[in-house]
Amino acid sequence: MSIEVKNVSKSFGAWHALKGVSLNVRDGELLALLGPSGSGKTTLLRMIAGLDHPDAGQVLIDGVDLSKQALRDRRVGFVFQHYSLFRHMSVFENVAFGLRVRPRHQRPSDDEIKRRVEELLNLVQLDQLASRFPAQLSGGQRQRVALARALAIEPKVLLLDEPFGALDARVRKELRRWMRQLHEEINVTSVFVTHDQEEALELADRIAIMNVGQIEQIASPAEAYDRPATQFVSEFLGFANRLPCRVERGVARIGDFTLATELDDYAGEAVAYVRPHEIGLSHLNGSNIGALAVIDSIVALGPNARVDLAYGDQRIEALIDRERLAELGLIVGQSCAISITRAHIFKAA
Amino acid sequence: MSEVRRDRPALRDPHWARWAIFVGGIGFLILFVVLPVVTVGAEALRKGLPAYLAALSESDTQAAIRMTLTVAAIAVPLNCIFGVAAAWALGKFEFRGKAAVLSLIDLPFSISPVISGMVFLLLFGLQGWFGPWLREHHLKIVFALPGLVLATMFVTLPFVARELIPLMQEQGTEEEEAARMLGAGGWRIFFSITLPNIKWALLYGVLLCNARAMGEFGAVSVVSGHIRGLTNTLPLQVDILYNEYNMVAAFATASLLAGLALVTLIAKSFLEWRYADQLALTRR
Repeated sequence: MSIEVKNVSKSFGAWHALKGVSLNVRDGELLALLGPSGSGKTTLLRMIAGLDHPDAGQVLIDGVDLSKQALRDRRVGFVFQHYSLFRHMSVFENVAFGLRVRPRHQRPSDDEIKRRVEELLNLVQLDQLASRFPAQLSGGQRQRVALARALAIEPKVLLLDEPFGALDARVRKELRRWMRQLHEEINVTSVFVTHDQEEALELADRIAIMNVGQIEQIASPAEAYDRPATQFVSEFLGFANRLPCRVERGVARIGDFTLATELDDYAGEAVAYVRPHEIGLSHLNGSNIGALAVIDSIVALGPNARVDLAYGDQRIEALIDRERLAELGLIVGQSCAISITRAHIFKAA
Repeated sequence: MSEVRRDRPALRDPHWARWAIFVGGIGFLILFVVLPVVTVGAEALRKGLPAYLAALSESDTQAAIRMTLTVAAIAVPLNCIFGVAAAWALGKFEFRGKAAVLSLIDLPFSISPVISGMVFLLLFGLQGWFGPWLREHHLKIVFALPGLVLATMFVTLPFVARELIPLMQEQGTEEEEAARMLGAGGWRIFFSITLPNIKWALLYGVLLCNARAMGEFGAVSVVSGHIRGLTNTLPLQVDILYNEYNMVAAFATASLLAGLALVTLIAKSFLEWRYADQLALTRR
């Protein structure tokens, strides 16, 4: 089932949480809403769920306007950030709740409910814990109960608010992988909110990057990383060196460098974003392409090394293979030549 | 939380200090709680059990017992419904004037009960605002059961609501929202999610409310008119008997009230003991 968000706006008092947001989620897709806190991502998710109502605009699920549909017919599965398990009910009863509250003529028999709940608990690998209470479960287990409960109503779409936010790093990584597998298994259109870019990059088919109530870019993880559409995306996704430059006749000048840009009709101040791995280092007495920089420090990060450089009054961070660094024989305090293989250049704001 | 460690040298006070605090605390309890209760019992039974039973079976006292039970039976359930509704509205929703409503609920706590009674007299008494209208329609509120119920309800209004509001605020609305997303309707959400989450606090509030409803003196005293056998409640009956120097009857009647307090306490302790595991679970 597809989700279509059309020009949705929402204010809370003087604060504009969403400013005319449009978004299409394709059938069977896993989409991440990524952004810093206060960017409106949770508000947007609650709109899609029908928990809040937009001031303007529409949300369509499978072509049907949400506001024109009774809640129980919407069949939207929602996993809350803190899971919101019913604390006075066992795991089994939590998962069964969505089936038990159906109107009598749609309600499955007790045997059928038992079968379905057991099936779901099996799916989330919690069959042993059916009689436990939420307070007796670990964070990761609670999260999976919340997921099973949301899936019990056979949702058309599944929405998850910071699904891994409250878990420690190791559990988070495990669950992430498991969740990706689960999505491939059940293939229900899903949207999740996160502020963790690593999570979004690893898990999602596409990412919608949000900032102050607007979507800055919707793209696949690779595309968003390689071709950020806005300054915000360049800064938010991964780290990028921010270098002020001047653009004239489609060419940007950063100190001694010249780079081709797509800003053909623009002349004036601009900002270039260069990822650490897009900076090349070479020995001074090698080829004489590039400019001169001084190595401030070298930090080993697993197979790579982060090299901090002073280039004029600029600080530049470069990431280089440690073997390559050893080959070059560069050490702290030495001068070296740098080159820029790629940059994303935006008009100065 | 981990188990409390008993052996903490840094927290260990000198022997004499521990004993002084212990003896002081127990002594205080004996002087202000145990002794008065014992006195009530002793005074009531001073002329033996037959005199005690005779005092209780006196028809005016019997009527007072019935009146107290009737007033509580009406006032407590009504306040219970009001308390849950108020706590629901105040604990789960944000709206303008919320703080004002909160302090309004506290009003009966801060006003002297006598004044609460006077207010009802001013409103519904013969010379009161609604007095002439009530007389025309042959409705009796003051110096009758409705007045006693109104005064009792006013005084005990905050008990249930006060007990529930902080709890409901702390629990938030996420569980209700989760139930809504799973397709549950409003009543279903209330009875399956909200009510089970507050049941212990509710029970506690009801017990306190009931104890106060049965023991209320000031407000009830003003609106009752002290008509023997008709509008006297137990505390008023105690007062009358005492003023007539009928000590045995006064203390016998008082022992009923004291007994009620004990029953309330025991009921509360029993429930806490019986459902300790569930309490621990739901409180996380």
